[in-house]
Amino acid sequence: MSYKIAVASSDGKQIDESFGSAESFLIYEVADGTYRILEKRIFQQESGKGKELPAEEYAASGSCGAERNCNHPIDCGNGTEGGCGGAGGSSAKVEVVSDCRCVVCRKIGFHIQKQLERKAISAFDVSVPVDEALAKIAYYFERMDNHVSLRGQNSR
Amino acid sequence: MAKLLDKQRYKCALGAMQTVQAITRAIPVLHSGPGCAQKLSDSIGSSGYFSPNIFPCTSINEKDVVFGGTKKLETTIENALKVIDADLYVVLTGCIPEIVGDDTGEVVSRFEDADKPVIYASTAGFKGNNYIGHEQVIDAIIEQYLEKSEEKEKGLVNIWADVPYQDLFWLGNIRELEKLLVEIGLTPNTIFGYNRGIDQIGKIPKAEFNLLVSPWVSVGNMKKMEKKLGLPWLHLPTLPIGAFETGKFLREVGKFAGIPEETVESVINEHENYYYYLIERYADLFLENRVINKQFSVVADAQYALGITKFLANDLGLVPAKQFIVDDTPKQYREAITEEFKKLNFNLQAEVIFETDSYKIHEQIKEHDYHGYPLILGSYYEKELTESLKGNYLNISWPVQDKVVLDDFYVGYTGGIRLIEDIYTVAVQRFN
Repeated sequence: MSYKIAVASSDGKQIDESFGSAESFLIYEVADGTYRILEKRIFQQESGKGKELPAEEYAASGSCGAERNCNHPIDCGNGTEGGCGGAGGSSAKVEVVSDCRCVVCRKIGFHIQKQLERKAISAFDVSVPVDEALAKIAYYFERMDNHVSLRGQNSR
Repeated sequence: MAKLLDKQRYKCALGAMQTVQAITRAIPVLHSGPGCAQKLSDSIGSSGYFSPNIFPCTSINEKDVVFGGTKKLETTIENALKVIDADLYVVLTGCIPEIVGDDTGEVVSRFEDADKPVIYASTAGFKGNNYIGHEQVIDAIIEQYLEKSEEKEKGLVNIWADVPYQDLFWLGNIRELEKLLVEIGLTPNTIFGYNRGIDQIGKIPKAEFNLLVSPWVSVGNMKKMEKKLGLPWLHLPTLPIGAFETGKFLREVGKFAGIPEETVESVINEHENYYYYLIERYADLFLENRVINKQFSVVADAQYALGITKFLANDLGLVPAKQFIVDDTPKQYREAITEEFKKLNFNLQAEVIFETDSYKIHEQIKEHDYHGYPLILGSYYEKELTESLKGNYLNISWPVQDKVVLDDFYVGYTGGIRLIEDIYTVAVQRFN
């Protein structure tokens, strides 16, 4: 089974962009434990749409449920947690990578990370070479998918 | 095949954070996932200068599994040293970093020159329960902090007993053991509880010997100290509760320490006079055979199962039914412990079962004929069961839900009297 990884890198060598400031993502495909570059996705910032929603707005936009009828921001975790497991309101940038299994970037905001989590996308905020990151992630997912123990993962 | 364990009575090895917490001004630094400390802390009796909610923790997540968590560990220790005013920092590792292979020892070794001592214990849950974790923390102190001392303090004795917090009465018990040693002219040294911290740890190598009061917990620690620090040790497996065992305890300690017999006997005599004065006054209650149950079972760790069984048989003359040891005692100690249960007065012997599965324990209790209603001394898990059997129940082991113990204890002469009070308070309620 193959899957995609979105990488925020300006030069394709080092992971050097934060999720928020990245203008594009390199999309890699991993199949049978090996990865290859697939494409470069440019994030088009449209007026009002491409903008990341601020936390309050995000909470009010119905993060606590598709019904968007929750009037108690505290009850629904104020948008900081997927308390009600709602599907609504994610940033346009999240949509850009929504078909990926994980996102690799230098830094990522808490709210965006939660939005990705809700789509079962893992976020790795690391500052390492792209190749190192991809190798480690591919190794990790391969073991996870095949129910192989992660024993010794970091002492390889 | 995977095995399901019903209502276990211990925690994972990381539960040893409570052992660290029991040492005044020592703080655990956790290299574990978020929530471990929260889940492992008891709901009462664990706040204070440091409480589980403020234990520094790396809160490792998926990223640290993939890319390693040692960087986070280093900054966490570094900042803990800056922010938290403690005397001893004990890094404890949880399951995740141990599985993926973070080299915690290497990271901790970078802090050798820190102003305060930083040590580490590998307390991954899959390595054992919190009894084992407790041993690992003490091992870490011995290996990484203590040095052999040529200078000895006359009469100084280190006392080691069971696991703080896991043992409901740990604080009171260890203080009472200290008092008993003082009475026969020794100077006790312990590292847990109020006013016991880094200074007491520093005194460990200066002691004349180690006294271990536990069926098996810390036996390994004693051997380690014997080897590294040259400390001889006296192992008394039975927690002394009541006159018979406490007398035996004092005589054995006195003999090992070279205390004159007369001194020990006069201490015993004085205590026994008062002890039996109390027993005599309440003999009317004790001899009224409808009040107390004919047979009893203890469901507890090896320490209490053995201590209480001996007390109830030797001092109160009750008949033991099956006794259950629930602490997952390592196999090499089981035979010796089973033998201890055969050394009861009045030619009594108790059958002991090592079982961690509460369902199986409860089935055996239900099947046994107690010749009337049973007396069950166990954890909160036995409450409902005992109620269904219309028996008498007392909560003496973890988990504890219906009892608050600040510094009460069951050790010694006074402790025996407290246990009688507790048992008979339950028993008389049946009629009143």
